Amino acid sequence: MLDPLQIIRLVEDNMRAHGLPFPAPRESLYSWAKPLNLPEKGSPMIYTGGLYQLTPYIVSVVESLSKTEDLRLTSMAFRASRLLSALGLSGLVVRPKADVASYIERVLRSIVELLREAGVKVAYAYEDDMYSGVILYDLGLDSLFKENAVKVYRALKSRGAEVIITVDPHTTHIMRSVYPKYVEGYDLKVKSYLEVLAETGFKVERRDRGDIVIHDPCLYARFESIIEQPRTLLGNAGFKVLEPRRSGRMTYCCGGPIEGLAPKIAKTIAKTRLSELAEKPGVIVTMCPICYANLKAVSDEKVEIEDIALLLRG
Amino acid sequence: MRAWVEAEAEKCVYCGFCEPLCPTLYPGGHRGYGPRGRVNIAFNIVRGGKHTGETLKSIYSCLLCGACNLVCPAKIDIVGVIRASRALGG
Repeated sequence: MLDPLQIIRLVEDNMRAHGLPFPAPRESLYSWAKPLNLPEKGSPMIYTGGLYQLTPYIVSVVESLSKTEDLRLTSMAFRASRLLSALGLSGLVVRPKADVASYIERVLRSIVELLREAGVKVAYAYEDDMYSGVILYDLGLDSLFKENAVKVYRALKSRGAEVIITVDPHTTHIMRSVYPKYVEGYDLKVKSYLEVLAETGFKVERRDRGDIVIHDPCLYARFESIIEQPRTLLGNAGFKVLEPRRSGRMTYCCGGPIEGLAPKIAKTIAKTRLSELAEKPGVIVTMCPICYANLKAVSDEKVEIEDIALLLRG
Repeated sequence: MRAWVEAEAEKCVYCGFCEPLCPTLYPGGHRGYGPRGRVNIAFNIVRGGKHTGETLKSIYSCLLCGACNLVCPAKIDIVGVIRASRALGG
């Protein structure tokens, strides 16, 4: 395992320098939506919080950190990373995984298209789709988290958001259950796009699309009670939903939340979960970019893993 | 927050019901990588104990996945205790 205090310092440095926890360009958060020409003000507003878009960078960072964990070069790597960051060259340190980046773009565009098909027209804040601060909260960086949360809330309100539609479990949880404790007067209504689609009775007129195995993300299943909605949507889209040994509230974590702190432990957990999911036939469906990346990293070509948005979109 | 962590962690009766559900316990290698160990590390720290490299690893290797919260008979908010412990400085 890596030195947690060094990881925390790296996240803090990047957050203060770029408003993101990893050295990624700001534009990477909203470039996916440029071709869609969405209205930049209004409600409901799709708010990604950046987790999907940061995943290709996280994958690259984790790959680098895994190497330093093996070679015990962590301190040297961190010193180099901080020096480059101070020189404004941090962009040279992390290159996003290109295949993951294009996959993520497809997922996010599919979510907007699914909402459109369900009759939900969304606004999108583009430059103001700021990072939600999930990692800051998880690491216990409370004052930095609060400072960022207030900025995010003000930016969304200035764009006319009253209802925000989130796209991943971490951002849904942080915006719905954590922000109200840190932002005075917080009044945004927060819904996951899966909840929104389920409420509209969204249905894809296709039948017999085969078996799929569902992997519940911990935050949806245990903290936000989003369990039935994805099953209903997938069933309505013609899939036969199979349950792994541990599912629903009793789901098993993919290991992703500690991939940057303890890459070896995270990988062992991902392998355990993948083997459970692979006990059943069919495509494995994820609803979280971290679950997707972490399970994908330990899978081979025999296992198919797909984000729920792409399966629903068909 | 410190008082809350202390009161919450003090409820632990060391039953260990939380341990079979924790994904990090087995790959971590010792009980500091499970919920019972982490809660008691957090308790010792708020009572004035000092962190070592290994106790920091215990606290920061938690996934915050919440599996342990489901089964704790003392109804300890284990995830809350561990996250708060981080916020208090590890």
